[in-house]
Amino acid sequence: MTDNFTYHSRKNVFYVILGIVFIVFFVRLIQLQFLYSEKYGKMSAENAIRNVAVAPLRGYMYDRNGILVVDNRPAYNVTVTPVEFENKNLELLTEILKMEKEEVLERIEKGKKYNRFSPVKIKRDVDFQTLSFVEEYSGQLKGIEYQFEPKRYYPTKAHGSHLVGYIKEITESQLQKLGDFYRQGDIIGASGLEAGYEKYLRGKKGFELITVDAEGKIIGNFNDGKSDIQPVEGDDLELTLDIKVQALAESLLSDKRGAVVAIDPTDGGIIALVSKPDFNPELLSGVTPFSVWQQLNTDPAKPLFNRATLTKYPPGSTFKMLLALAALQEGIIDENWRVNCRGSFTFGNKVFKDMHVHGSTNVVEAIQRSCNVFFYQLMLKTGLPTWTKYGKQFGFGAPTGIDILEENSGLLPSEEYYNRRYGKGRWTQGYLVSLGIGQGELGVSPLQLAAYAMALANEGKYYKPHVVDKIKEKESKKIIKVEPVMRQINLKNEVWNAVREGLYRAVNVAGGTGAAARVPGINVAGKTGTAQNPHGKDHAWFIGFAPYENPKIAICVLVENVGYGGVFAAPIAGLCIEQFLYGEIIRNKLNQPKIILTKTEAEQIRD
Amino acid sequence: MQNWFSENINLGILISTLLLVLIGLGSIYSATYDAGASDFFNRQLIWAGIGLVAMLIVMFIPFRTLQLISYPLYIFSILLLIGVLIFGKTVAGSKSWFGFGSFGLQPSEFVKVTCVLALATYLSDKKINLSRFKNLLVAVSIVLIPIALIIRQPDVGTAIIYVLMLIPVLYWAGASLTLMLIIISPAAAAVAALFGITPFLIVLGTLLITFFVLKENKLISAIIFSITVLVGVSVQFIYGKLAPYQQKRIDTFLNPEADPLGSGYNVIQSKVAIGSGGVFGKGFLEGSQTQLNFIPAQWTDFIYCVPAEEFGFVGSILILILFAYILFRSINVASTAKSRFASLVTMGVVSIFSAHILINIGMVMGIMPVIGVPLPLLSYGGSFLLSSMLMVGLLLNMYINRKEY
Repeated sequence: MTDNFTYHSRKNVFYVILGIVFIVFFVRLIQLQFLYSEKYGKMSAENAIRNVAVAPLRGYMYDRNGILVVDNRPAYNVTVTPVEFENKNLELLTEILKMEKEEVLERIEKGKKYNRFSPVKIKRDVDFQTLSFVEEYSGQLKGIEYQFEPKRYYPTKAHGSHLVGYIKEITESQLQKLGDFYRQGDIIGASGLEAGYEKYLRGKKGFELITVDAEGKIIGNFNDGKSDIQPVEGDDLELTLDIKVQALAESLLSDKRGAVVAIDPTDGGIIALVSKPDFNPELLSGVTPFSVWQQLNTDPAKPLFNRATLTKYPPGSTFKMLLALAALQEGIIDENWRVNCRGSFTFGNKVFKDMHVHGSTNVVEAIQRSCNVFFYQLMLKTGLPTWTKYGKQFGFGAPTGIDILEENSGLLPSEEYYNRRYGKGRWTQGYLVSLGIGQGELGVSPLQLAAYAMALANEGKYYKPHVVDKIKEKESKKIIKVEPVMRQINLKNEVWNAVREGLYRAVNVAGGTGAAARVPGINVAGKTGTAQNPHGKDHAWFIGFAPYENPKIAICVLVENVGYGGVFAAPIAGLCIEQFLYGEIIRNKLNQPKIILTKTEAEQIRD
Repeated sequence: MQNWFSENINLGILISTLLLVLIGLGSIYSATYDAGASDFFNRQLIWAGIGLVAMLIVMFIPFRTLQLISYPLYIFSILLLIGVLIFGKTVAGSKSWFGFGSFGLQPSEFVKVTCVLALATYLSDKKINLSRFKNLLVAVSIVLIPIALIIRQPDVGTAIIYVLMLIPVLYWAGASLTLMLIIISPAAAAVAALFGITPFLIVLGTLLITFFVLKENKLISAIIFSITVLVGVSVQFIYGKLAPYQQKRIDTFLNPEADPLGSGYNVIQSKVAIGSGGVFGKGFLEGSQTQLNFIPAQWTDFIYCVPAEEFGFVGSILILILFAYILFRSINVASTAKSRFASLVTMGVVSIFSAHILINIGMVMGIMPVIGVPLPLLSYGGSFLLSSMLMVGLLLNMYINRKEY
């Protein structure tokens, strides 16, 4: 096949094709640089066309009842077109905007790098007065204009700050990483749902080509707007959230530190997720003044920290059910196995205390009355490997996979953990005794405990917690349903029944520690807990679910540094359950006495 | 000595290349000028130095050695491409970089070189006959493997370049016109159908004329024609059935930079830059379009409008002449080279350069869709400059060895 004749004829094909390409280029150059050069020269001299980005509306968020939770409202930014800006106006501009000169100059410099002819945002969300000043001085302030940009607005009483998250101006490093979509001065989701669903919420930017005259005055849209690209609104999110429960929980924790997480046990949807103290997300919906940031960051109560998903405290007595389930399922004990509680338990030379003398106690009564001695002994009988195995099944020591991004795995100790920490053979069974009652080297988040309460409520259906139920795509008009992801924890029916009965009695039968969680007309089941805190007052826990017969809500409440769970956490859980199941707080209307415990009653509740 | 030099060194291609690199450096200097030389310029200068050394080394690698190392080099470079998908750094939405501190390397650029070598080595084997399906499949696969990997990054522009290299090289290697029509016409029909009815009809018309001119066998013509019609119609049918947002995704794929950034703006500004340059230009560092940064990231894909604005028609045409000289001269070398390998390597490089020039300058002049492909030897980008100069090194090497069998 290698004969030069082939090459010769084939060579001509290439000559012809390439020849045509270069002739077309040549003709095009003649056209542009000879025939139209005057027209383009004029356009270039006047810099006639501007490319202005048009901000899309960010997607809306609705709660499970269709209530608008996150809204947009109009706001105005003041912009400067760098090439037209005259330094003599700097003084006046900084005065009108109430900004530092350096900050204004820095923003203009950054904008120049991209395109000196595109307006750069100098100040976001200016008030009406500033806007009128800009308008008033428009003759003098060359290149200074204002631009519409929607701003986040939260129409309900709830903040939802850690759940919904906040937005902020994109950083330099994000700009480098995320590429073409964003420009300096753009808004991006920084935490919570705003960050987790950024690619849906952000929408698509529009672009307008605007013709201006030599003075920089806008004449109109280039090509009658035919070259413009319309912005596309961001996709809406339908949440599993019940904003009224969220608002109630926030108000109940208003002067405290703590968290509430409520989950729908039928699909794992988050009903409420509260972390207190929190912040007003409206303060962070754009450019945040440095003073606000500093205040939020240095506040010792850490308002930016999401306690619902990031704390890791020992769960206290709320963990006793885990041990009971493990021991019953493995056949280590049965429901009739009894321990005689004398108020304390001695192991080696160490004495482990109980709050009361419970006498002869079986597993159901031990959950009901939160008997420590029972669980000390049961822990030794069950052993660490089995306990760890069941802990893992209920999702402890690992992230739950919730769709608001930030969460902590917590700590679920295992044999390897102790070997690593203390060395092989250098730790004893005595280290484990406290684990039986949820104390010691153990860390869980309120979210993990709420998911555990969910699995207790629905007999082992461990749904992945999620906040978004549906995504309404604006462009395709399609509704994407977020399908629940479920993992079944398989235990025998009688095991579930025994533990659930213990939970029912803990709230509803005399001697139970969770009486304060009762709700009129509904059977609540639950368990109180108190996490020992070496740095101050104990942390109060409560987990529970309702209705007992057909659970529709599972809940976990944490109140930091107050004392017993039965006193401080259980009443909050009861009110949230009531709000969710009735849609309102009915106990006052029913003319029933408020469930506020007397001092002596409170004394009785030690868990 | 004098004799040896003029006998072995293709001075025309060497000088044209150096001139183009210098014009590129000057354009980058101007496009990023801000009261002095920018980082962009300094980096490109370093890369040009590295490229020059690499070009001279490649030029003098013994002919047989090149053939021997072509497969190992190809495999190594494919491994790099896989590696970049796993360990690479994402720049501007595309995962195509290995980062070493402030310097980055883009393996897809070097695979162009190794891919041309491997394909040429395979096709130059006397036992290979492209009318055998197995041989054709291997040849096509050598190019399709990198394409598949590059599409994942995703970098559609570079993938298109590989296709535009494969087709001419197959043709040069002796593929029959019938085979070329079978490969090209359904693909052309599919793409044309997405652009609309008229482009589709143009493709069909061109095909009919080709049959007529080539006096192709009637049965084969009829089969090729029906396949082409079928592909085109079914593509349009499927496209019509898609939801609007899916259609939009395809539009964006065909025209990747049009949608999110409003590339209409870039092209308008680039035409203004070229047009306002007039016959003699506005002078070095005097181009207002360039100096005022009207065209975002002008130093990469839109570099051609810098000399076009500042040196006008004179500068623009000089660049076209230099490119045309390199390409036409190389085709001539390829057609007279004694060895099939030398001939095929030369045509591979010619095809890659032609594809870049066609897409890039066509885009900047506003007569081609906006596809992000840089201009060889001129655009900013170390890996690309280096690989372009390596390829010129191959052209010069093949010239030295044009009389070898």
